[in-house]
Amino acid sequence: MTVDNTGESLLDLFIFETSQNIEQLEQIILQNEKTSQMSAEAINEIFRIMHTIKGSAAMMMFDNISTVAHRAEDLFDFIRKHIEDYIDYSDVPDLVLECLDFIRNELDKIKSGGTANGDGSDITAMVSQYLSQIKEISEQGSTGSQGEDAMTATLSVPASKVNSSLGGGEAYRAKVLFEEGCQMESLRAFDIINRLAAFASVVSCFPDDIMDNDDSAAVIREKGFEVVFKTNREYEKLNRFFAETIFLRSIELEILEANEYKMIITAQADKANAAALAQDSGGKEQTKGDSYKNQTPAPDNHNNAVATIINVNVAKLDKLMDLVGELVISEAMVIENPDLNGLELNNFDKATRQLHKITMELQDIVMSVRMVPLADVFQKMHRVVRDMSKKLDKEVRLEIIGEETEADKNIITHLSDPLMHLVRNSLDHGIESTAERLNSKKPKVGTITLEARNAGNDVLIIVKDDGEGLNKQKILAKAKENGLLKKDSSEMTDKEIYSLIFLPGFSTNEKITEYSGRGVGMDVVTKNISEVGGSVSIDSKEKIGTTITIKIPLTLAIVDGMNVRVGESTYTIPTISIKESFKPRKEDLVVDPDGNEMIMVRGQCYAINRLHQCFQVETAIKDFEQGIFVMAEQYEKTVCIFVDDLIGQQQVVVKALPAYIKNNHNVNGLSGCTLLGDGSISLILDVGWFVGSDLGA
Amino acid sequence: MSRVLIVDDAAFMRMAIRKVLEKNGFEIVAEAENGEVGIEKYLQYKPDIVTMDITMPEMSGIESLKQIKKYDANAKVVIVSAMGQEVLVREAIMSGAKSFIVKPYKEDHIIQTLNSVVASG
Repeated sequence: MTVDNTGESLLDLFIFETSQNIEQLEQIILQNEKTSQMSAEAINEIFRIMHTIKGSAAMMMFDNISTVAHRAEDLFDFIRKHIEDYIDYSDVPDLVLECLDFIRNELDKIKSGGTANGDGSDITAMVSQYLSQIKEISEQGSTGSQGEDAMTATLSVPASKVNSSLGGGEAYRAKVLFEEGCQMESLRAFDIINRLAAFASVVSCFPDDIMDNDDSAAVIREKGFEVVFKTNREYEKLNRFFAETIFLRSIELEILEANEYKMIITAQADKANAAALAQDSGGKEQTKGDSYKNQTPAPDNHNNAVATIINVNVAKLDKLMDLVGELVISEAMVIENPDLNGLELNNFDKATRQLHKITMELQDIVMSVRMVPLADVFQKMHRVVRDMSKKLDKEVRLEIIGEETEADKNIITHLSDPLMHLVRNSLDHGIESTAERLNSKKPKVGTITLEARNAGNDVLIIVKDDGEGLNKQKILAKAKENGLLKKDSSEMTDKEIYSLIFLPGFSTNEKITEYSGRGVGMDVVTKNISEVGGSVSIDSKEKIGTTITIKIPLTLAIVDGMNVRVGESTYTIPTISIKESFKPRKEDLVVDPDGNEMIMVRGQCYAINRLHQCFQVETAIKDFEQGIFVMAEQYEKTVCIFVDDLIGQQQVVVKALPAYIKNNHNVNGLSGCTLLGDGSISLILDVGWFVGSDLGA
Repeated sequence: MSRVLIVDDAAFMRMAIRKVLEKNGFEIVAEAENGEVGIEKYLQYKPDIVTMDITMPEMSGIESLKQIKKYDANAKVVIVSAMGQEVLVREAIMSGAKSFIVKPYKEDHIIQTLNSVVASG
């Protein structure tokens, strides 16, 4: 495997992995918060993830991220060491989420090419303050600070390694200086002692409390580290041994005189006695610290998949999809090539069948590669519900159904915002306060259900709440106030009334809250969803709840379309918006005094769009009775499109209109184009524009 | 050319180490995302040297180091640690780690460390 050697890809990986990590963290926190007791496993996991983020961020020089993660790591290090102390950790989730938000925010800046310049000092201060608080509590709760004692006990050089009675031979003193900036000098000294102990008996060392505190590391850094030992090895060999030390700046090795050695021995013995006395009290606490260390974290299976999954830039997948689309078309151009007409080509036919099979498989695979489960988007809503129900003081449960349902990655990206908006709306306006719920004999805890399921080539996403439902009178009054009513309210169906809330400039809640009603209304939802070729519908029962259904196509890259002919041109109408097609009867046609053509179908009147007029195409068929009508619907509005003939229904690969066409021509009413099997171009109609133009007229 | 096994749960870290090492003439024979896989890969590839992260899920670097040492007493394992992990590094050294590096490390530090460990007997 070769790795691209630019720093950029390392940054990409950093962003990707860190985002993944914070998402995982968030899940852990939210899950644990429900049980209000953190499991040892969760604490270890959080500690580990914070540790990873800290390390990676430090490598990428994102110091503010690294510092925040470091503080959080410290906090969890403390918690996991005091897990048996039953300290109240109820504030921890909030703190960690603060940290996560900060890191996520900085990541977003990095992602958009900015610099991570956020100031994390507030957050680190908060965490530090909390840490010292719980430290205090834990110290009060237990006699003496056991954690620290256990640490000291394991940190000092073990007695077995400093042994004066063992071994004979010559006594030596070595003075070692390390290179500047090599870090953890005390450990490097410890390493030397450890390796030395293999063939020598270490008598003493200076500083003798090598690892007790940062001070000794500083001492070693400045003055060097001294060790006295006894061994049978020759001077030259010893010198070589020390020379092998990594980051060695200098080594002085000397043979000790007998009396000098004796003095050191006596001093060492005195010290050992004093230490033995002091150790007595701390000894029994040590077992507790050790027992913790032996506790291995419970296995956690989902991480096993990491090795077999790689991340691919979506742009590359788009390109791949494009190419496969081209391939499918080229294949058709070869197989249906006019030059082959009338020829008997048995072998060629066999080969083309094989080619066709493989291109089809390829197309399916590429499609499936772009599919991702909705789980990520759905899981994000847990946080939204948690934060909001806390702030609004409502008890709400989020139920998720069918999160394994898959949809195109591009569509899912567009789904996140609308979904968040809908969930917020449900929580803010839908679910009643606890008191109100109890009054109306509803369960105390409100429920918001997020459901996803497949329906043919579409995915249905349903946001349902068991709140108070929509109030028709209120909606009508509000719509009237804002001048949004197009027809008399008595003529409107319930659905039409509910759909008013999706219009721009509509908002029923009198007071503006932090979450919904910041001037952005539900129209944002409709807009975002229709951008990806989907639709939104709403249903509600007063006092029982509201259900909002989003219908999105599985993918944007391939559309199920009806090909129609106008003159010599071919157009494709997305099947999702076609209601029916029919031959008109002359007596159903109506022309109003302004010359607008309309048609009556089952007592309803629809506007007519002549496609040949819309796009100024030459055609022989201008008489309604010779052509055919396609009734298309979008945004709950319907229009009849007049075409020459229907060619047939097929899945087409959608391509954006080339920029030079977009820039030089009016492309209203077109959403893209596609190549047909015979190599000719078909333009894909934007039904939304047709119903819109109908309104304008 | 020395053959290296990188054990780290963070893909970012693995890539960072890989880049530095490959630039300096090391061959990365395998990567592992936790201690347990680390042992498997060690037995499979018999690398000259292993860089071992400490904090990993499933099996920590120290446990993995101990196991590897059990299979191959001469295994050369370099611990990748961070400030604040002194106690663990110490345990690692006692368990037979040849040396350690501290994150965030300087490029020449990791190279110097690995070169010395490879050169040592």
